[in-house]
Amino acid sequence: MSGENILEVRGLNKYFGPTHANRDITFTVRRGEIKGLIGENGSGKSTLISQIAGLYPWDSGEIVFNGEKYCPRSPIDANNCGISMVMQELGVIGSLPAGVNVFLGRTNQFTKNGVVSLKALNRAAEEVFEKWGLPKVPLNKLTDGMMIEARKIIELARALSVDPQLLLLDEITQSLSLNNRNKLYEIIRKLKEMGRSVIVITHDVEELIQITDTITVLRDGAVVGDVVSKETTPDEIKRMMVGRDISGAYYRADMTPAFGEKVVLSVRDLTVPGEFENLSYDLHEGEILGFCGLSDSGIHAVGKAVYGLARPSSGSVRLKVSETETVAIDRADTALRRNMAYVPKDRDSEALMLHASILENFNLPSLTDLEGKAGYLAPKKLKKRAADLVASMKVKCTDIFQTMDALSGGNKQKVNLGRWLAKEPKVLILDCPTRGVDVGVKAYIYALMKEAKKKGIAIILISDELTEVLGMADRLIVMKGGKVTARIRRDEDFTEQSVIGVMI
Amino acid sequence: MQTRQKNPVPVEEKRHSQLAFLLILVAAIVAAAVIFNFITGGRFLDGTNILVIISHIVWPSFVAWGLCFLFACGYTDLSIGAILVLGSFATCIFGNWYGYPGVILGGLVVGTLLVFINFNVFAYTKIPSWIAGISLAMIYEAVAVVLKVSDATADLIYAEMDKSLRVLGQVPWSILLLFAGLAAAYLLYNRTTIGLNIRALGGNKDVARALGINVNRTLLGVGLICGVFIGVAAIVQESVAGRTLVKTGLTSINMVFQPLAIVLLAQIMQKRLNVIIAVPICAVIIYAVFNLLTIMGVPSGTLQEAFLGAFLIAFGVVGQRGVKGVVK
Repeated sequence: MSGENILEVRGLNKYFGPTHANRDITFTVRRGEIKGLIGENGSGKSTLISQIAGLYPWDSGEIVFNGEKYCPRSPIDANNCGISMVMQELGVIGSLPAGVNVFLGRTNQFTKNGVVSLKALNRAAEEVFEKWGLPKVPLNKLTDGMMIEARKIIELARALSVDPQLLLLDEITQSLSLNNRNKLYEIIRKLKEMGRSVIVITHDVEELIQITDTITVLRDGAVVGDVVSKETTPDEIKRMMVGRDISGAYYRADMTPAFGEKVVLSVRDLTVPGEFENLSYDLHEGEILGFCGLSDSGIHAVGKAVYGLARPSSGSVRLKVSETETVAIDRADTALRRNMAYVPKDRDSEALMLHASILENFNLPSLTDLEGKAGYLAPKKLKKRAADLVASMKVKCTDIFQTMDALSGGNKQKVNLGRWLAKEPKVLILDCPTRGVDVGVKAYIYALMKEAKKKGIAIILISDELTEVLGMADRLIVMKGGKVTARIRRDEDFTEQSVIGVMI
Repeated sequence: MQTRQKNPVPVEEKRHSQLAFLLILVAAIVAAAVIFNFITGGRFLDGTNILVIISHIVWPSFVAWGLCFLFACGYTDLSIGAILVLGSFATCIFGNWYGYPGVILGGLVVGTLLVFINFNVFAYTKIPSWIAGISLAMIYEAVAVVLKVSDATADLIYAEMDKSLRVLGQVPWSILLLFAGLAAAYLLYNRTTIGLNIRALGGNKDVARALGINVNRTLLGVGLICGVFIGVAAIVQESVAGRTLVKTGLTSINMVFQPLAIVLLAQIMQKRLNVIIAVPICAVIIYAVFNLLTIMGVPSGTLQEAFLGAFLIAFGVVGQRGVKGVVK
C-alpha cells in the first residue's frame, strides 16, 4: 500500500434542516487502500460517501482527491474524476434494460448522429461483466422484476464501468449470496492490486475486518476513531460504534432444538417453476426454521410461495387454524387474514410505502384490527399505536409523521418488522431480516425473534448469512438449484463447514 | 447464477418474437377487416372508407406518440387537448396568410411552445402535473374562446383553411408523414440519450438523479419532443377537418380521448411489441372499431364509447395472457 493519499476529507459538515448529519469529518484514504466505514444506522456513513460521490454538496469543509481540490456537481462529475458508487437502496431503472442501466447517464458515448447504438452499449456492458468476472445478467431484459441480487450486480457493473480510482460500496454485501459475495471480495482484491482504492460500508463487523486495511468508525455523524483492521477486534469496533460494550453473543447460546410438538404450517410437494421443486416440511409452534443456499437455490422464493405471493404449479401450503381444521394458503390476503406475516428481503420495493409516514406504515397491516364501529379508524388510536411502536422499536425519527424515505436502513427495518410483530402472528416469515442494519439493531432484532419464539410464534428465517441461520435456527433446510440438499437439526452437525459442504 | 434467468432471451430472438407478434397482429387486423366487410355488406373495405380510416388515424397517432413520451417520464398533462385546439387555430390562420410555411410553422411553433411552457411549469413550480395541467387547460381554452369572440380574430378562426393547403391530411402525404413520425418517435424513444433519460425519469426519479441525469433539463426535453408531436398533430388535424371548434369547461380534454385509448391499448401490448410501433396499429384498430359501429348505425357518443371501453378491456385480457410478471 502506497503512502500517498488519494482522498483527503477535511472538516466536512452536512446539515439536513436541523439534523447535523456529518460533523467535522476528517479522514484519509491512501492509494490502494481498502477503507471500511462503519457506524450505527443513522450515524452519517451514507451521507458522507454520497457527498464524495457527488450526490449532494457539503455545507463546509473540503475534499482533496488525487492532490486536487474536489467539488463534484453531480455523480457524473464524480465519475469523470474517477469516483463511482454502489448505493445502499437506490437501484436500477426497472423500465429500462439491464445493459442500458449499466451506462445510464453516460449513454452519449454510444451515440452516433444522435442515435444510441444499443448493440455497442450491450457489447461494452458485456465487456465490463467479463473484465470483472461478474455473473451474467440478461442485458436486453428489463430490470423490473429481477431479484435484488441481480439488480445489485448491475449496479456494481455500472460503478466498475467507470474504471474507478475510488470505488464506494454502500452496504452491498448483504444483498449478495455467499458465491457472489466471494466474487465481490475478489474484485476488491483486484482493485487493490491495481492500486485503486475502495471505501466499503457494511454492518457485518467480521467481514469488514476481514476485507479492509483500515476502518473509520462514525457515531452521531462524527468520526470516533480510526483503526487498523489487523489490529482490532469485532468487540472493539462495536464498542466504538455504540459507545458501550456489546456482547458478540447475540445469537442463541443453546445448541438444542427447542420448539413445540404442534405443527402450525405444513408444506407438501410445493413447486414454483424456475425456483424450487417438491419442497415439503412442517413448521412447529415456537420453531425457527432456517433456509439457506446460494443465489440460484430458490430460498427467497420459498417465503413468497408460503405467503401466497408466488404461484406454485403444484403442492400445497396448509395452516393449522384449530385443533381439527387447516386452511390452504394460496393468496397473500388469505395469509394476512389468517395471521401470517411476511418481511421480504427487498424492503424498499416490496414492503414499505416510502412516501407515506411512519404512522401509516406501522398501521397498514393492522387496519382491520384497529377499525371501530362502521369501519371508522380513529386518528387518536392510530397515532397512539404508531407512537407506542416507535418507542418500543426504538425508531430514530423526528415524529410519527416523518416519511419513510427519510429514515436510515435500520430504522426502516424496525418499522417493517415491528408492524408485524405487534400483531403477534402465528407464522412469521423473515427474508434477510437484518439486511442493512447495524449491530445494535441486529442484536435487537435477534432479541425480538427469541421473544417471539418464546411466545410460540413459528418463524421461517431465510438468510444469505450463514452465521445468522446457524445462530438462530432450530432446524436448517439447505437448498441448491431449487432442491433440498440437507436438513440439519441444531443438535446435529450444525457448523458453517458442514452447511457449506452441502450448499455448494 | 443469482439472476435465475436459466435461458436469457438473446436480442435477436426478442426481435423475432416482436416481429412474429407484429405479423400475427396485422394478419388478425386483416382477418377482422374481412369479417367487418362481410357484416357491413362490403362497405367497410370500400376504397373511400379505407381513405377515411387512414386520414383519421394520423393526427391521433401523433398525439399518442406525444403522450407516450409524457407518460414515460411519469407526468400527465390534461391541457394537451387545448394546445391541440390552439395549434389548429394557428395552422388555419397562418396557413391562410402565408401558405404552407404558415401551415407548418403555425401549428408546430404553437404546439411546441405551449407544451414547452407546460413542462417549465411542471419542472420549476413542482406542482403535480395533473393539477397544473388542468389549470393550464383552462387558460388555453379561455385564450381560444377570446380569439373566437374577438372582433379582430373571429373571422380568422371561423374561416376554413384553404382546401389547397390541406394535402397533409390526404393520402399519400398523410401516410408518408405517419411513417416519418413513426421513425422519429421510435428513434427518439428507444435509441437516443434523451429518450432513455426520459424513461429513466419515469422509472425512478431519485435513481435517475443519482445517476447524474439532469431532471429539469430532461423534463424540458420531454416538453420539446411532446410539443413537436402535438404541433404536427394540430397541423394534420386542421388539414383533415379544415376547422376546429372550441368551448370552455375543459371540453378540450375530449380531443385526447381517442389518442389516450390508443396509448392505453399500445401499453397493453408493450410487453410484446414496442409501444411506439404499437401506436399506429392501435390507432387503426380503434378507428376501425368506431368506423364499423358508425356504418352499423350505432349512435356515436356514449354507446360507441361504451363499445370501445369493453373492447379495450377484452383486448387487455387477451394481451396479458401468457405474459410472465417476473424476469428472474
